[in-house]
Amino acid sequence: MKHRIIIIVEHFGGKLNPVTYELASFARELSTFSSLDPHLVILGDAVERYAHDIAHQTGFDVTAVEVPGLASYNAEVYINVLGELIPGLDPVYVCCAHTSQGMDFAPRLAVRLGAACITSVECLHEEGGRIRFARAIYGGKIVANVVSGTQLTVITVLPGAFPPPELENTEPGLVILSTIPSESHRSRSLETKLCRPVESVFAYARVIVSAGRGIGKKENLSLLEKLASVFPRSAVAGSRPVCDVGWLEYNRQIGLTGATVTPELYIACGVSGAVQHVAGMRDSGFVVAVNNDKHAAIFNVADVCIVEDLTTFIPLLVDECLRGSSRGDRDT
Amino acid sequence: MRILVCVKDVPAPVAGIRIDSAATWITIDKSYPFMLNRFDEFAIEEALLIKEKFPETVVEAITVGPERSALALRRTIGMGAGKGIHILVEHGGYISPFVIASMMASYAWDKGYGLILTGIMSEDHMHGQVGPVLAELLSWPCATSVVYERIQKCQLRVYAEREIEGGYRDCLDLALPAVLSIQTGINRPRYPSLSNVLRAKKAHLETIRADTLQPPDSQEHLIELTYPQKSRAGKILQGTPKEKAFQLFTILSEKAFI
Repeated sequence: MKHRIIIIVEHFGGKLNPVTYELASFARELSTFSSLDPHLVILGDAVERYAHDIAHQTGFDVTAVEVPGLASYNAEVYINVLGELIPGLDPVYVCCAHTSQGMDFAPRLAVRLGAACITSVECLHEEGGRIRFARAIYGGKIVANVVSGTQLTVITVLPGAFPPPELENTEPGLVILSTIPSESHRSRSLETKLCRPVESVFAYARVIVSAGRGIGKKENLSLLEKLASVFPRSAVAGSRPVCDVGWLEYNRQIGLTGATVTPELYIACGVSGAVQHVAGMRDSGFVVAVNNDKHAAIFNVADVCIVEDLTTFIPLLVDECLRGSSRGDRDT
Repeated sequence: MRILVCVKDVPAPVAGIRIDSAATWITIDKSYPFMLNRFDEFAIEEALLIKEKFPETVVEAITVGPERSALALRRTIGMGAGKGIHILVEHGGYISPFVIASMMASYAWDKGYGLILTGIMSEDHMHGQVGPVLAELLSWPCATSVVYERIQKCQLRVYAEREIEGGYRDCLDLALPAVLSIQTGINRPRYPSLSNVLRAKKAHLETIRADTLQPPDSQEHLIELTYPQKSRAGKILQGTPKEKAFQLFTILSEKAFI
């Protein structure tokens, strides 16, 4: 029997997290280098229905583990159950999403399993008979290519890095049911509560002007607001550090722990381009980046790059846009 | 209660960073100093807030790194921590989070800490692993991405809220001792006070040579560093700022954004 790539399915609030299909895509790519069988695992207290859905969508076999009383994710239970289950599945890799959930249990599960843990993987390739996992370091300015030194490796996969392919008609995989009782004694889940409004402030924005730490001070947001006002249906957004210092509300945060947006135009001002932010805007239509650091990682994901101090450049841009519009008005 | 905060020094984010000629490590523009990892500031501040609530609390900081890493400890003491422990490594190159956490666990396991706090990740290598790995090595419960915590009066349990996607929070009740990795935004880190900075300058740090803690072998290996590939055109505009502004306006008009 072939060895396996184990994929941990993520689900929340009665719904499967679509990032699971990205993990399946990652596993497919990994299996082309390594001739391993992808195999999904899902835990919870009513998971059989998800199991059939994903077995159907991916064509992979699924082990659905009923854990009585596990209504929602709990790290202690996940690590205990997976730590017991996975060794018997002939694993070579265990893949999780690089989400708050994956980041919470993957490193601990790796220790439990005696495995290396490589997080936030964006890309992989084979060289010299070994699989190299690529991950961003130094704010995204450098890529580290890493190989595992253990027989079993736990990977967290960066959301957005392995988009799932179009659905094909595949033979559904097998669903294997089991029950493993487990309770959390030392870290009890109490509740999951909604703390921020679900409605996105970006829902109707065609153009987003976003602020990174490079704007320097809160007052400089007014430059971005002026720029945004040049475009109909626009919004001002920011990276997490800008929200942390209170310059913008967290509902304006774009990134891995904030909103994911796909406006037609994204203008990033003073944004460094760290992967955590880029994950939230990488699928924007057209990206313009303004930063006075010519090595800023944002320039790798921009269509147009302006290496300038934004406090000088943005007012000039706004002037051009306003003059351009009035030229347009005169001409009509 | 005794709290240990795990801290790290990192290159300043704006520092020029280039890959060295062997493509296996980096060279950093020396005109920029190293700094305390921004994410750790939130962990330190949270420890100090707990101390304000429970005045008999002792807050200590630990770091793993070469000589220069002592700055992270001095900065932590400058904010108000009591003492710094420096696990001194010989070289300034890459150390994996598993090795870092293992050495911290070797030190901390028998020191009677009731709580260990870490930043959610470091700005340089961005693994996000030291906190959870440390917890598992110590067999302690752990919560990551914590945006709110409240130590119960009995000081035997902690209530914690984890920030998760979609604007939700996961609320947990953990037994102490525990490890919490702290997410940004949980607090506003204080600036060091003058008296604490002076104390930090003179503070005697407990220095332990890393090899005396018998660090394990690394479980993953950094094979090569490369520069990211551009995923888009990346057209760099040239000229004066005014000329660039005009060029950009032209591009945006042609694309009918204006």
